[in-house]
Amino acid sequence: MKRTIIGFVISALVLLSLAIWAFRGHIAGNTQEIVMAAIVLVIVGFAVYIGISRLRSLQRHEPAEDELSKKVMLRASSLAYYISIYLWLFVMYISDKTTLEAHSLIGAGILGMAVVLLLCWIGVKMFGMKNE
Amino acid sequence: MNNRIKELRAKEGLSQLELAQLVGVRRETIVFLEKGKYNPSLRLAHDIAKHFRLPIESVFLFDDEEAGKQNP
Repeated sequence: MKRTIIGFVISALVLLSLAIWAFRGHIAGNTQEIVMAAIVLVIVGFAVYIGISRLRSLQRHEPAEDELSKKVMLRASSLAYYISIYLWLFVMYISDKTTLEAHSLIGAGILGMAVVLLLCWIGVKMFGMKNE
Repeated sequence: MNNRIKELRAKEGLSQLELAQLVGVRRETIVFLEKGKYNPSLRLAHDIAKHFRLPIESVFLFDDEEAGKQNP
């Protein structure tokens, strides 16, 4: 329960930061910033989904987390780690070929890692972990 | 590895949620087990077999064992 609440609090803080960033006019409205904000919203949506599914489990008197959910996250994390190495190699490769500033590239890389983790989690959930 | 959880559960008239609650996991874990998308830990396999009052090897079947049964 404590972890679920922490997850909701972090999600709310991220949304609040994004809202403050947008309303103070720091979002110029160019495509790059809109894509980044959309990715943040997708990641927050994922966190909220996980939180809600944990709460539903508790309502049904099931454990919020069990061996399957832990293994899914472990497998998704290990896959995401390997893929992220190639993601950062790609970011390094395009850093010479783009006019983007270093902080934008790092931000894109970090958001990319979160998206990779989300996709790996969905993939592991879809295909399961037979014979592992 | 395959298993007979669905068959045994149906025999006892248990729902996935009820079995999940009895062995202390989420319903989703039972769904994954029945679909063969997940191999349980020894502890969970033991708990499920114990619930059905059967030895583990009667509930969980290895693919090579099944092939052996079909082609002795």
